[in-house]
Amino acid sequence: MASIQYILKRLLLMIPTFFLVMIIIFLLVRFLPGDPAIAIAGDRASDADLEAIRERLGLNQPMLVQFWLFVTNTLQGDLGRSILLRAPVIDVIFDRLPTTIFLTLYAVTLSLLIAGPLAFVAALNRNKWPDAVIRTVFQVGLSMPVFYIGLILLTFLAAQLRWFPVGGYGDTFVERLHHMFLPSVTVALYTSAIIMRNLRSAIIEVLDAEYVQFARAKGLPDRLVLGRHVLRNALISTVTLLGLSIGNLMSGTLVTETVFAVPGVGRLMLEAIFARDYPLIQGLTLTFAVLVSVVFLLTDLFQSTLDPRMRLT
Amino acid sequence: MRGKLIAAAVAAATAFAMPAMAQDRGGVLNFARYDGSKLIDPIYADRNPDIWMVGSLFDTLLRSSPDGNSVVSGLAESHEMSDDGLSVSLTLQEGLKFSDGAPLTGDDVVFSLDRARNPDLSPWAGLLGSIKEITADGRTVTISLNSPDPTILSMLATFNTAIVSKSVFDAAEGATDQEKSAAIFAAGGAGVGSGPFFLSGFEHGSSMSFSANPNYWKMGADGKALPYVDGVEFQIIPDDATRILKLQAGEVDAAEFIPFSRVAELQADPSINMNLYPSTRIIYSPINTRENRADGTPNPLADVRVRQAINYATNKEALIGLVLQGAGKPMTSPLMAAATQLSADLGPLYGYNMEKAKALIAEAGIEPGTKITFTTLAGSTDDSTIFAALQQMWSPLGIALEVEQVDGPTRGAKNRSGEFDIHTYGWVNDVNDPSQVVGWLGHTPTAKAVGTGWENPEFNSLFEASATEINAEVRAQQYETMQKLYADSAPLLFMYETPFAVAVSTAVEGYVQTPLGNNIFEEATVSR
Repeated sequence: MASIQYILKRLLLMIPTFFLVMIIIFLLVRFLPGDPAIAIAGDRASDADLEAIRERLGLNQPMLVQFWLFVTNTLQGDLGRSILLRAPVIDVIFDRLPTTIFLTLYAVTLSLLIAGPLAFVAALNRNKWPDAVIRTVFQVGLSMPVFYIGLILLTFLAAQLRWFPVGGYGDTFVERLHHMFLPSVTVALYTSAIIMRNLRSAIIEVLDAEYVQFARAKGLPDRLVLGRHVLRNALISTVTLLGLSIGNLMSGTLVTETVFAVPGVGRLMLEAIFARDYPLIQGLTLTFAVLVSVVFLLTDLFQSTLDPRMRLT
Repeated sequence: MRGKLIAAAVAAATAFAMPAMAQDRGGVLNFARYDGSKLIDPIYADRNPDIWMVGSLFDTLLRSSPDGNSVVSGLAESHEMSDDGLSVSLTLQEGLKFSDGAPLTGDDVVFSLDRARNPDLSPWAGLLGSIKEITADGRTVTISLNSPDPTILSMLATFNTAIVSKSVFDAAEGATDQEKSAAIFAAGGAGVGSGPFFLSGFEHGSSMSFSANPNYWKMGADGKALPYVDGVEFQIIPDDATRILKLQAGEVDAAEFIPFSRVAELQADPSINMNLYPSTRIIYSPINTRENRADGTPNPLADVRVRQAINYATNKEALIGLVLQGAGKPMTSPLMAAATQLSADLGPLYGYNMEKAKALIAEAGIEPGTKITFTTLAGSTDDSTIFAALQQMWSPLGIALEVEQVDGPTRGAKNRSGEFDIHTYGWVNDVNDPSQVVGWLGHTPTAKAVGTGWENPEFNSLFEASATEINAEVRAQQYETMQKLYADSAPLLFMYETPFAVAVSTAVEGYVQTPLGNNIFEEATVSR
């Protein structure tokens, strides 16, 4: 019951957050230099053509009127029509969003699969060679730009060894797992480096805790000590970090989706910005805000499951 | 490199004129594009990724000849201009059909051309401003003009006058023509084409499919209807490196817009033909010629001697080496690429001459340390290279060149408002006639002479007179004079022409990109 009340409270708190996001994004896109009418009609359009486009898009109306229309239409589920694609923004986003969500979830899964076991190995071999090797490799991964890692992986694993396709998305679920492996692992390498470092430190800290020493003293097997006491407690801070990382992962899709030719909302956002497609930029930003808020809520809920001391109030 | 360019020109011309003899039929050609199409409707296409695909789906009444200097038959088997230049009569080929099997009639032609010239619909309607009325009687189509128009035949070979199916538009959902067009294209299913292909699949930002039109009128070398391939699959891959990797991995058969820094590497690959197709693309820099800058301060570039000096001080060959790795040539006409009709060969414009440049600067009384801002596209490697080179080249003149980086729409807005000193720009002709580019670059009422503010009454009246001049010799003379006037006044930093760089697998033959940028797949073959 308490958790339902908590969820409702959090959902209510999202309303002012979204309103703030709407104000900021509305103003930001309009303060960007560059005229959407020129972006639509091209540099060669006549002044009369540009004026007609501004009139048609309502860009000649006072800012307050434009904002009022934006807010009221959004509340009715109407995010407007994309200037670039001449289609309803909501349709365009729903068309492309599953790809980005798939990429993000795939990357998170891979991050955990890479970081989890290696963090354990590193922590249990603290300051020995396996620890040093793992930390050094991840340090290198952290210091390289995402697009550069992507291109290296593409060159060797796709173009030369031909284990994976160079780009694209695939049609079936299995094809998607295959097509999206390289983009996901590119994103995952960076995230897993951060998670691994955090999880390793947390495990080391928990290993030294009195309750772990007590569990060992009473003769519990290592498997139980590590699984039930160490991992569960070490994961608390890592879950917070993972929640925050998902926000970063979503913004990272702008680069990854471009390099790997993945048709998701990240690449769409770049196209929308270059085309000064106000409705699409606004719609995408709101979508990102909703997704990140939901992820943060889920993170908090999961944390309370891991650690009952964290009360949901 | 120049040899390669000529070879590509010959290959392009041959591909138009003489199809390969032993034909491989069937197969699908996979093509990697730098950007996706948004709406391939002849009258609404306003971006190159749309315009350059129109011809594959919708045919025009006439077509540009391979050398670009005249027109040849298209959907119309013959055409005749009246002696007074006030009407054009065209005869459609017999038995024309759309891809769905419906007959292509004079009614479809009237519908398509009326859409194209409607200023409430098409941004290109101005190109057909001379048309008074279009009528059809059986296979005969008559176009009456308000005044003689020397460009009308070229316009009938231009993408915006391509023929669409009236019945498909009549049946489409939507209250307005725009809504109907968007609905037809967004359907993503089988479209109806009059060109060698029809649209058979479309996923925005990801892929697009063309399938062979079984009813296409044009015959191949084997006596059967073109095209040779069953279809073309397009994948949208914006990243240059990924597009090339995709070709090298054999996942696509061709990749367009190859960066010039990668051309030599791909030329050395035995499985790839690195084609450099001659184009009408010119890279130039408009110079603000107004007396004062937008902020009210005096503009040193208002003095023609300063503009001439910076042109003389720019080593174009060096720029071509730095930016294009040699795959280009200095502009020889100030107003257009050499591949354009009526382009006058004035030799390399403002060949490198530092002494002359210094003398002009001294004569103009320019103080050492004079600041000039060069506006470039943020993220463009080419622009960054050009800026760094010009900064060095102009420093002996005492010019302190500063950079301002902006994105495309901002650069466009600055050009319009005159808030710039000098900035990079490029152009590719959309029409097989020089009037479009000359109007854009030099005619003040059209676009303030590409935003430079340059105004020359003699040039403007020559341009206006040439719009109704049907005597070819007189028109050519008018154009030659305009080019000389423009060169002397130097409202631009004249830079270079660049080819279209498309890397194609050796399994593909017959694909061509025309000087206007149009992708031609109708005679392409794929052997696997």
